[in-house]
Amino acid sequence: MKILIVDDFSTMRRIIKNLLRDLGFNNTIEADDGLTALPILNAGGIDFLVTDWNMPGMQGIDLLKTVRADPKLSTLPVLMVTAETKREQIIEAAQAGVNGYIVKPFTAATLKEKIEKIFERINAQ
Amino acid sequence: MEALNKTEQLEAARALINAIEQDDDDRIKTELMALTNARESALFQQIGKLTRELHEALNNFKVDARLVDLTHNDMPDTRDRLNYVIQTTEEAAHKTLGYIDKTLPLANELKQTAAKLNESWQRFRNREMSATEFRDLSREIEAYLPVVTMHAGEIHNNLSEMTLAQGFQDLTGQVLRQVIGLVEEVETNLVKLVKVAGQPQQSGEAKVVDPLKAEGPQINAKNKPNVVNNQDDVDDLLSSLGF
Repeated sequence: MKILIVDDFSTMRRIIKNLLRDLGFNNTIEADDGLTALPILNAGGIDFLVTDWNMPGMQGIDLLKTVRADPKLSTLPVLMVTAETKREQIIEAAQAGVNGYIVKPFTAATLKEKIEKIFERINAQ
Repeated sequence: MEALNKTEQLEAARALINAIEQDDDDRIKTELMALTNARESALFQQIGKLTRELHEALNNFKVDARLVDLTHNDMPDTRDRLNYVIQTTEEAAHKTLGYIDKTLPLANELKQTAAKLNESWQRFRNREMSATEFRDLSREIEAYLPVVTMHAGEIHNNLSEMTLAQGFQDLTGQVLRQVIGLVEEVETNLVKLVKVAGQPQQSGEAKVVDPLKAEGPQINAKNKPNVVNNQDDVDDLLSSLGF
């Protein structure tokens, strides 16, 4: 299981990486916005995407839409971890096909719960 | 050309009517020109007056030393201050995470060795242990105790460093207060500028706000009806969408 973490703040990428490691996901790779994430995704081998919303270059919501529009990537599970908390934004992300939405600041327990829920759904399909 | 007074205007108008009644094209042109020129000249004078007033207003505004200071020094300073906040908080987070990385293996080692010794100890208590095995156990316990002291000391030290790293809150808090002060001052000056420029224009259309634009952490989220307050609200909203 290889996970791509996309956030413009290196501290937040590090926090997410450490939390994922505690959950048993040791294989992670990082990108600092949608534009740097896309070549990594296109190169293949990524099984799960964790992304922030507000980033320079390409924002997380646009990265999500690009992923869903690409036949090679369209089924990739996407978890959004963001400080964006407006209802319109959450609805937009849901409609764009996000698999989970976590608001910052968040806890290790929330991250674990959402990731487990996403895998439960995928396995049930 | 000088502006005409009322009598002169009336005379010019009557002359124009006369000319029209007599179908005198040349005179119609001349009289019409005289009237229009007079009118335009009044307009130019008005524009000249306005220009002078605007020029003076701008000059007066320019000599406000504090305003010059704000744009030349305080604004670039503020950019630096805010960058400083980003840099300081980033450093503090990395420092804390670094000490966590150093501390976790220490705690794990203590836990694993203690569990192993406990297992052997229970076998000894149940009289399942040979004399040779007990001598080995004694040596292991003897080796373990100084390691506990050493690791506990190091863990204590790492936790103290993490506490110290939280000092960023004090520093960045002070800097952010300064920025708030500056924003208030700029606001006051902008209000003055609006007064100098005369009545503020009433904007006909409401400002268009893109509800999807990323805004970062919401300040005063409780007072904004379209903002969720926590993860539970997010989960409720998503499940209401059949998510």
